Amino acid sequence: MSVARFLSDSLAIAENEFREFRRNRSAILISLVVLPLFFTVSLGAGQGGAGTTFSPTAHIPIAWVDNDNSLASIRLWQTLAGSPDFRNLIQGYSEQSAVAQLGTKRIYAVIVVPKGFQNDLENGNQARLILYTDDGEPGVSDQIQATLTSYTQNFNPNVEVQPHLSQLQRQSVAGVAIVTKGATFAGFNIGLTTVLAIVQIFACFYEIAGGISREREEGTYARLLVSPVSLGSIVLGKTLFDILLTIVRTFTILGISIYGYGARPNTDLGTLLALSLIVALVTIGIGFVVAALKVGQRAVVIIEFFLILFLFAFSGLIIDSNLLVGISQVVSYLLPFTYAFDALKRTVLLGRPLLSLTFDLEYLIGSIIVSYAMAFVLLHFSRERLIT
Amino acid sequence: MTVPEHAIVTKALTKNFGHFTAVDQLSVGVGKGELFGLLGPNGAGKTTTVRMLCTLIEPSHGTASVVGYDIREHAAEVRRQIGVVSEGVSLYKDLSIEENLKLLATLYELPRPKAEVRIRELMDMFAFREKATRLVGALSSGWAKKAMICAALLHSPQVLFLDEVTSGLDPQSAIALQEFTKKQCEQGVTVIWTTHYMGEPEKICNRVGIMFAGRLVQVGTPAELRHSVSEFSTVEVETPGLSGGQLEKLRAKLKVMGQVYQVRYVDPKLEISCERTESLAEEVAGALLEVGARIRGISTKDPTLEEAFIALTGGEEEIDQFLESAEQKA
Repeated sequence: MSVARFLSDSLAIAENEFREFRRNRSAILISLVVLPLFFTVSLGAGQGGAGTTFSPTAHIPIAWVDNDNSLASIRLWQTLAGSPDFRNLIQGYSEQSAVAQLGTKRIYAVIVVPKGFQNDLENGNQARLILYTDDGEPGVSDQIQATLTSYTQNFNPNVEVQPHLSQLQRQSVAGVAIVTKGATFAGFNIGLTTVLAIVQIFACFYEIAGGISREREEGTYARLLVSPVSLGSIVLGKTLFDILLTIVRTFTILGISIYGYGARPNTDLGTLLALSLIVALVTIGIGFVVAALKVGQRAVVIIEFFLILFLFAFSGLIIDSNLLVGISQVVSYLLPFTYAFDALKRTVLLGRPLLSLTFDLEYLIGSIIVSYAMAFVLLHFSRERLIT
Repeated sequence: MTVPEHAIVTKALTKNFGHFTAVDQLSVGVGKGELFGLLGPNGAGKTTTVRMLCTLIEPSHGTASVVGYDIREHAAEVRRQIGVVSEGVSLYKDLSIEENLKLLATLYELPRPKAEVRIRELMDMFAFREKATRLVGALSSGWAKKAMICAALLHSPQVLFLDEVTSGLDPQSAIALQEFTKKQCEQGVTVIWTTHYMGEPEKICNRVGIMFAGRLVQVGTPAELRHSVSEFSTVEVETPGLSGGQLEKLRAKLKVMGQVYQVRYVDPKLEISCERTESLAEEVAGALLEVGARIRGISTKDPTLEEAFIALTGGEEEIDQFLESAEQKA
């Protein structure tokens, strides 16, 4: 078979997929509207609301205890209270009574300005802030620490303390514990990395595994198999169509995340699109493998839920794969999606260029090749099972 | 490739699914332009045979060629030469018949102008013009079946497989389809017509192969098959109000008389298919009178293809046993 023939057949299959999709309102709704909207809006809303100025710490009640009562501490209060990130700073507590309120859900953190704060700044010493957080709310605690760090790093007390500003920037960053937390990520950036991958995985898997399952049950897969079209053209045609859907979904997710939830990805559109497509291709390959196992449409949905739970557990979404132990860590290291999430975090959050993530990319491209090869072999040898 | 004398040749073609042999040592040749019927009950192996010849499934043993191409070695070429209408081979429901045909035209490498002409031809042939843009899923089962035949004929195949093609069709459509198929054969297309309706092959097929339990029991023209069971006869008796008990007693008496293939009773008509003997009518009448039945009329007739089928496959009980075991295996 010539390459031209192969490509022509693949395009015919892709065009056919598109025609079918266009007629299927529920497929359009689920693939292009419900899935991207549901995941993005749920995660966005779950992190505190909508709007480009959205901040996860904005509405968290935090007690402010000023034991220094100096010009510098008042300036810091003004800076924080006037910012969009600390709109619920509560004054009037003593340090003891504020700490006693932690765990009651009335306040989630206490920021204490110790005596000598201004003196330290003026003398060029490390000025300290003490931060108490509710141990029962680890996510909230991390967000407050990260956001506070970014403000103290940029804090400009006033003209009087200005000479010590450089020292302040370098050292006096609200206690050592905060400094070691590393970079902070504005708005919905973390949510964006999760949504971008999860939606493509969820949608692509169902579109391929569920699509072939439906074709098998309806007899159209057998129709293709009794025609001269090659298995390669069928696989490529379906992949091409799903890539088109992936691109549309990527733009939808980015649109909602950036304009609805204030995400500011530290990378360019090309990188985001490339990573979306890589995630999609890995998933499509796995979808073909599952389709070759002759599972029904209902089974595809069940497998999909297991897959998502599996991803949350082992792909570094909840706990970084380096922190997992034993077999869990082995599973995490083997899972291609671990590297996809890692690549997304490094590009979207840290602004690393895609091509610098050599190992992640090698593993992901290797996974695409392996999953497609497996799918091709399985579909070839299960041809008989798929139509009987 | 050698020029084939036969459009289809199978040699000891066998298909096993695990321990179950669906098709067992099938050897047959089907001539070019022949309308060949494969007759057998559900589970006899007809559809499996068709699927092997269509290259959908691979034989376990044996060989087969379609228009000179080996089904294993040149599967892609075989697919170019065949059209298939089968229960498990459908069109896209969310596409119109025209869109389905256009897709297939691309896959069968029909040049666009030629494809458009051919699609118009088929649309006219099946009176599809007004329904060209209707979705296949919205068509009635009869029209959907016609659409599938259109699709099977699109690339002018040399061999057409029509598997249980009349099931679900109204009688008029079924007759029209039978006539259409005959015309296709006159134009040189070889047709394999599988069915479990005994009356169909008798009307239209040049030759019939009777399949049972995966085996090809007999092949011949419908007349030859009927003749092959000329020792077989059917007695029709009009005997109203026969009870279950009387029927059981009658069966026992008939068994003593000789081979009985089938006893069917729908009040008041009793049909007994059995071995032909000189005094068959008298013997049956005697047995009926002995069980206390009333006889209004009695006659004998030559076997139909259906009866020949029953005789050739070993009788009603064997068929029932076979069907039961086939169901269990399924």
